[in-house]
Amino acid sequence: MVFAKDIMIEAIDINKEYRRAGAIIRALVDINLRVKSGEFVIVQGPTGCGKSTLLNVLSGLDLPDSGRVIFDGENIARATEDRLSKIRRQKIGFVFQDYNLVNSLTAIENIEALLWPTVLSNKEIENRSIAALRDVNLLERKDHHPVQLSGGEKQRVGLARAIIHRPRVILADEPTGNLDPESETHVMELLKKINKDTETTVIVVTHRTHLNKYADKIIKMDKGRIIKIE
Amino acid sequence: MWKKAILLSLREKKIFTVFALIYTILIFLSSLFIELGIGGQLGESALFFILIFFTTSLILSLLYAWILVSRRRRVWATFKCIGYTNKNIIILVSGIILFTTLMGFFIVIEVLFHYAAIVAYLNSAEINLDIKILIGLVPVIVTSGMFIFVQLIALIVVYRKVLKVRPIIALKRVGG
Repeated sequence: MVFAKDIMIEAIDINKEYRRAGAIIRALVDINLRVKSGEFVIVQGPTGCGKSTLLNVLSGLDLPDSGRVIFDGENIARATEDRLSKIRRQKIGFVFQDYNLVNSLTAIENIEALLWPTVLSNKEIENRSIAALRDVNLLERKDHHPVQLSGGEKQRVGLARAIIHRPRVILADEPTGNLDPESETHVMELLKKINKDTETTVIVVTHRTHLNKYADKIIKMDKGRIIKIE
Repeated sequence: MWKKAILLSLREKKIFTVFALIYTILIFLSSLFIELGIGGQLGESALFFILIFFTTSLILSLLYAWILVSRRRRVWATFKCIGYTNKNIIILVSGIILFTTLMGFFIVIEVLFHYAAIVAYLNSAEINLDIKILIGLVPVIVTSGMFIFVQLIALIVVYRKVLKVRPIIALKRVGG
């Protein structure tokens, strides 16, 4: 039996359409899913199957045309932009395929940037950033700029930025898409470790089937629909 | 957040240096022409030049704002993705623009202080070259105040552009 308090994200009858070159594309069709607190979920499917759209909708970056997204007990499908920003700052950590680090800032500053708009003191922000960098085994590179880091190191900085505020959920869109096999393993093992140690819910969108071993649940999508949940 | 805006502007050395120097030149020239206008040395043409400088400042501020927002949409989109509000971002952008202008103001003040020091030294050494104080402090402060006011117009335009930056852009593939 699953209790409501155990459910971190619930999507109910989600539909989403796009218009592209005059044609209507049904990106998400009647999506229903539940992600439990502390679960490691992998969303898989071919390119254009709607997996990234699903991630965007689950995080409030995109709104569904119909349906509800209950995030930690709150319907975010109709939340205001400011409320969504607050939810993302407090409860969600993002990991991007292209890292999205600011080149003019050092590794530690990129991590600290997430907490700049908060009321935390500079010392507290610095302490948390150092702890996050230590968690991803990158403390010795804290004063390096992104151009001085390898792809794997950049992604670990991205991962540290995603965990500095101790989020309830980490959303990763093809986090290993630009990495070599060794860095891929490192990043995925870090994600799994964070998931286990802190019971953070992790949702990873990927097309790489060999990453399935990290997942508690695998959601397979095709043509905007969930075709299988393992 | 204002401190972080200063950090961000200082880290973008090239663009910061270029715009700070242009603002320095504009503030210096505007102040000089205000000074000359007050002294009645240039007549109505002083007002004409001052208007040109302020218009240039407005165009410059709009250009700077455009560069900061449009060419760095991905950075602002990423910041929105990780929880920044529009207000947080506009504070950063405003801070960068205002700090650059203030830097121009401080450089002008610094240059004028050095100039005044040289004049004072020459006078005290009884080397009379008939050099007067170039620009008083009031025209410089008035000019800087007006430049900052002009920038508020640019910031209103920026705000509209910041609102249009969607966080979802951060998830789009580079070059995709």
